[in-house]
Amino acid sequence: MEVIRLERVHKTYSDNGVPVQALRGISLQIQQGEFVVIAGPSGSGKTTLLNIMGALDKPTKGAVFLEQEDVSQLSRDTISAIRLEKLGFVFQAYNLIPVLTAMENIEFTMMLLGIDEKSRRSRALEVMRELDIEELADKRPNEMSGGQQQRVAVARAIVNNPSIILADEPTANLDSETGGNLLDLMERMNRDHNLTFIFSSHDQKVIDRARRLIILRDGLIENDTVL
Amino acid sequence: MLFTIAWRNVWRNRRRSQIVMISIIVGVVAVMFNDGLSVGMVRQMLDNQIGSHVSHIQIHAKGFNDNRVIQNYVHKPELVERTLEGTPGVKDWSKRVITFGLLSSAMNSSGGLIVGVDERREPEVTSIKASLTKGSYLSGKPHEVVIGQRLANRLKVGIGDKVVGMASALNGDVGSDLFRVVGIFETVSSEFDKTYMFTSLASAQNMLELEGNVVEYAIVIDDIAQVEAVTAELRRKLGADYEVLSYIDLLPLLVAQVEMYGEMMYIIYMIIGLAMVFGIINTMLMSVFERIQEFGVLMAIGMKNSYVFRMVMLEALVLALLGTGIGLAMGSVLLLILNAVGINLSMFTEGLTSFGVGAIIYPRLTIDSVMSVVIIIPATALLGSIYPALKATRLQPVSAIRYV
Repeated sequence: MEVIRLERVHKTYSDNGVPVQALRGISLQIQQGEFVVIAGPSGSGKTTLLNIMGALDKPTKGAVFLEQEDVSQLSRDTISAIRLEKLGFVFQAYNLIPVLTAMENIEFTMMLLGIDEKSRRSRALEVMRELDIEELADKRPNEMSGGQQQRVAVARAIVNNPSIILADEPTANLDSETGGNLLDLMERMNRDHNLTFIFSSHDQKVIDRARRLIILRDGLIENDTVL
Repeated sequence: MLFTIAWRNVWRNRRRSQIVMISIIVGVVAVMFNDGLSVGMVRQMLDNQIGSHVSHIQIHAKGFNDNRVIQNYVHKPELVERTLEGTPGVKDWSKRVITFGLLSSAMNSSGGLIVGVDERREPEVTSIKASLTKGSYLSGKPHEVVIGQRLANRLKVGIGDKVVGMASALNGDVGSDLFRVVGIFETVSSEFDKTYMFTSLASAQNMLELEGNVVEYAIVIDDIAQVEAVTAELRRKLGADYEVLSYIDLLPLLVAQVEMYGEMMYIIYMIIGLAMVFGIINTMLMSVFERIQEFGVLMAIGMKNSYVFRMVMLEALVLALLGTGIGLAMGSVLLLILNAVGINLSMFTEGLTSFGVGAIIYPRLTIDSVMSVVIIIPATALLGSIYPALKATRLQPVSAIRYV
């Protein structure tokens, strides 16, 4: 089942009045359950592409379909709702809410969905058990290591049962062992739950795990290979 | 959970939050003190007027208040007295004769009000007996007089001295009598103390040839809040031949002043509120700018604009409620203490007594003041946080996440 489709997507930024073409007509499709890595040199458009696929940014031209729905022209609130229900995000800098504990961070997106406290807690515990991070439940981000924070971020991303997880350089701030463990975890989530993972990364360890590798260069797909 | 986030965010920058709260607390205490002092002062003016002579309600023959002459005496006193005894809410009453006249001593003379009072009932209605500083109150014997200290000074008389009272009698002739000063009183109103002279009802009736008639009934009621209801009831019972006037009718300027002070307080609330708005805008803007990346992440994971807006507003509300709560508690304790001990403004006595206020002001904590603080200060804080909250909602997730 197709979860993401991009049709001739262009993105042009203005850098101090100078137009910069970050994406130059990208078209691609991603199917449910794929484990995709978008790689490429710095400035090739990886993060821009990931942002557009995650409906965080709008294309200058072209169309983006999430589960067959064109999201390129929707209102902010509608897009927020789609992100909340269908997408999970893992950021390079973890970006947990610093004033909340791990458990509360995981519960947060469920709260946005209006799920009651008891159900939230039970689901959060379930996910924490699955990711083996129960002992972190009452810890705040500043009391956790980078690897622990990133695992909590993954738990936050998957807790609403989204169909797609977008991860922007998720291992960039982790040592190789912790990064490897995180990738193991993500691979397991992909395998066990048929979750679609899309990474943007230039970390070879991440690229090595890809089952589909999309290489970008100068805003164009240079290579798209199923491995 | 939104409240938990707001609460914890408030304490993220403890010092900044404390400074904002202190500014709110100082504002609340200042406005409550100012309100309490103003209300205390004007209420004291009103209470003093009511307590020294006006009482809660007065009954006269119709037309007396517009033409205060003794010819407008009460024609059926027994009807009035029977009505007063049978009206719920009436606590006590006294009957009076009152007229303008001239008081003379061997040394000087002065115009004033000669008031004949029922010396047994009057102390239950007004506070002249309690305000005596020299001598004694009227005993019921004829030709006794009690005067204010300032009038005594002007006439250069003391206890035991004689004064002559002269006024127009019922038949139009000049009625006069010789009185002996038995008591000197001092109230908080200098104007009252140099104008009023009290004698027994019988002495006044005799001098003015009123033959047992009275001009005025002064009434106190159980609950001042019921004054309009009791007045209306007395009016209904006595009919059109009598004028029944509450202190609100008798002291319109003072009552208007009380109301005016209340309205002025809203202006002061607004000025303090305005100062607070800018403080809150500044604080909340700082708070939003410090957390741009965090807002970006929240939006990225699906937080709608309305939630972002509510989150910022809630933080401002938490700050305001904490500041207001502490300020309210401190202001209330301060006012309760000052209400018990008073504020001694004896250095301004001359000015205060000319307004009928004592040298010691007892600030009052009113429910209006508390309600105004509880409503206006948090509302002001919310008003001040609208702009920062809107700023937060206008962030673009992509650029906000990358913001350093």
